[in-house]
Amino acid sequence: MASVSIPIEKPGMWARVAAWLTTVDHKRIGIMYLASSFFFFLLSGIFALIIRLQLAQPGMELVNQNVYNELFTMHGTGMIFLFVIPFLVGLGNYIVPLQLGARDMAFPRINALGFWLLLFAGLVMEGGFLIGGTASNAAWTAYVPLSTRQFSPQVGMDIWLFGIVLVGISSTLGAVNFLVTIYTMRAPGMTLWRIPFFTWTIIVTAAMILLATPVLTAALIMLISDRNFNTQFFTTANPRLWQNMFWFYSHPAVYIMILPAMGVLSEVIPVFSRKPLFGWKAMVLSTILIGVLGFTTWVHHMFVSGVDPLVERFFMFTTMVIAVPTGVKIFSWIATMWKGSLNLKTPLLMCLGFISTFVIGGISGVMQGAIPIDMQVHNTYWVVAHFHYVLFGGSVFGIFAGMYYWLPKITGRMLNDKLGKFHFALMWIGFNTAFFPMHILGLEGMPRRIATYAADRGWDLPNLIATIGAFMIAASVLLFMINYVVSIVARRGEVAGDDPWEANTLEWATSSPPPVYNFARTPVVESERPLYDQRMAAQAKPQA
Amino acid sequence: MSAFTTPQSSIRRQLPVVRRRRYNRGLLGAVAFIAAESMFFSGLFLAYFFLRTDTTLTVRSDQPLHPSIALPLFNTLILTVSVAAMAWAERSIARDDQRNLIVGTTVAAALGLIFMLLQSVEFSRFVTEGFTPNSSAFGSTFFALLIFHVLRVFAGVTFMLIVLVRAFMGQFSRHRRAAVQACAAYWYFIFAVWLLVLAVLYRS
Ligand code: HEM
Ligand SMILES: [Cu+2]
Repeated sequence: MASVSIPIEKPGMWARVAAWLTTVDHKRIGIMYLASSFFFFLLSGIFALIIRLQLAQPGMELVNQNVYNELFTMHGTGMIFLFVIPFLVGLGNYIVPLQLGARDMAFPRINALGFWLLLFAGLVMEGGFLIGGTASNAAWTAYVPLSTRQFSPQVGMDIWLFGIVLVGISSTLGAVNFLVTIYTMRAPGMTLWRIPFFTWTIIVTAAMILLATPVLTAALIMLISDRNFNTQFFTTANPRLWQNMFWFYSHPAVYIMILPAMGVLSEVIPVFSRKPLFGWKAMVLSTILIGVLGFTTWVHHMFVSGVDPLVERFFMFTTMVIAVPTGVKIFSWIATMWKGSLNLKTPLLMCLGFISTFVIGGISGVMQGAIPIDMQVHNTYWVVAHFHYVLFGGSVFGIFAGMYYWLPKITGRMLNDKLGKFHFALMWIGFNTAFFPMHILGLEGMPRRIATYAADRGWDLPNLIATIGAFMIAASVLLFMINYVVSIVARRGEVAGDDPWEANTLEWATSSPPPVYNFARTPVVESERPLYDQRMAAQAKPQA
Repeated sequence: MSAFTTPQSSIRRQLPVVRRRRYNRGLLGAVAFIAAESMFFSGLFLAYFFLRTDTTLTVRSDQPLHPSIALPLFNTLILTVSVAAMAWAERSIARDDQRNLIVGTTVAAALGLIFMLLQSVEFSRFVTEGFTPNSSAFGSTFFALLIFHVLRVFAGVTFMLIVLVRAFMGQFSRHRRAAVQACAAYWYFIFAVWLLVLAVLYRS
């Protein structure tokens, strides 16, 4: 039968731009999240490079102390609020409805609103560099009284606070959307235990965002009000009110930044080991447990703030306890790879990078969770080393694992694996070169947040090494971008096909990139690995 | 192959097909949002108790720790009736009664407005007594609870007005009433917060 083909007029460039600006498709919104947060990753990374240049040698005068303060504040908040969190949210936006076998998110328009709010918030936060000339410079923690009008008079501080309020509203809306989507839009047969693991981590993350963020929002509004309407929330002699409210959000925030990355690992490792995830239920339960315990440890950031010693000891205990479900995850990933037939492609390498560095960050974390040790290392480079080992070594390696794994689905083309391996090797070596010496600097007493240091302190060599490492990281990210441009933008990469990795979850059951409607028909699920079941069934019943 | 057929791999063709269950997403979304709102107020209550129990601060004796409760009690009555009216409106649309949906929501919204009006009377009473958000840390948290609550009342009334407009356009029925339910749930939440605010600010 001859088929009739109706010529469809190709939309012009402006029509296509308008389509992106007004889209409510979760995939396009997801891509916009990924793109904008990658931009903020680069921007905040450039700030980090300037910081490292300034610290390369004692007595450098690249930037002065004031600019230095702006740089590390905007580096830290850019990385956290404008890169890691929105990137993982964006990945969730793209992947979760596909993993559920759904057509879109539950509230597509709220989804779009969340993205545009976030982008606006990012521009507002960075806007301090332009408006009034001074961005926020009271560190990402914005401790009072440093962040009050008296000590931080610039407008940049006000709009930065306002920007974070907007980020908070955006992520709260996103959390509501994720929870309702996952609860109501699962494919038939997808019981709670069969929800794909990445989606499970998004559930717990969304719940944490939902319950933690509003407390920060309240604190931010109170601070804005102190600065502008002369209220007296934080002007008292007791600075611990801000610290409590800030850390009530910001400790859960570290799990908000790590859980989805752990979700990525729990997808990638089974697929690249050709084995099911070891201890599925224990993994789900440990994720939930981390989510719950994450709310009980915040005072470990305040061990030198003069909190009641008995209270401190309680929080020391909870901090040690939360290491247990985290350890469960590490063991599960290792057991999954054990005796598996490992497919050593870039996504798996990134996971190995995550595990190797995250373990170090976890150990240094438990160490500083002990009150006597924390008294020594608090506010030194030890802490900077620790949180980069979990945030970069954990979240960022997880993010790159996710990109190498899912970009073929999102773009339809494979990234070059050889270049990917170079990227991984350079980033892993660069990362350890940059951040391992900071442990030593911390133990030698170098405080964080200082713009320069004297030559006679013995800090020169580790600082120089750290700076070299930072530029290695930058070079490795450049490799990734070249890979992206060559393989995907210039279309030199292999065509991905539906399921290039022989994976397990539903996003691989549709084309790459998926059509607007995701699935032509609603799929049905009989286990947590629907595509694996399909392959097995196909093998058992060879084509008649 | 025509441009309109979907290319399908073997796996895609083999996945069996069924209908999905239906859920009330609007109401679920409202419940999740209310959870976030309750954490916002938890933050404010935390700040209030932190500053009240802080021994390094002295709550000044010239300030009304136990302000007169007559007006707030009357306001509680108003909010109670308003909540009842909203519940009645919600019940009505569940029985496809469009007229009583409109009547109930109108009454609830009007009482919400009166509540806001009386709260502003209360605020000016404090201010004339010299107790303001700027007078001390305690004053700031005291007013924060009242002001953020009344802002929620404003949001709730706005939500009701939207429901009313849509009700006049005949958009609700027994099968299509998620927005009414969400609005009512939010209004109950605002009432519950008010009871807490009342107990904590006026009688603790
Ligand atoms: C290119 C890689 C990176 C380098 C070279 C780098 C370097 C640094 C340095 C040297 C500091 C300390 C500044 C000081 O205390 O004086 C710092 C602070 C910080 N970094 Fe990074 N960083 C990198 C990536 C990241 C990432 C990926 C994150 C988060 C996801 C992050 C989050 C932070 C935070 C929160 C602070 C604390 C800022 C503050 O004290 O207020 N960094 N970074
Ligand atoms: Cu913490």
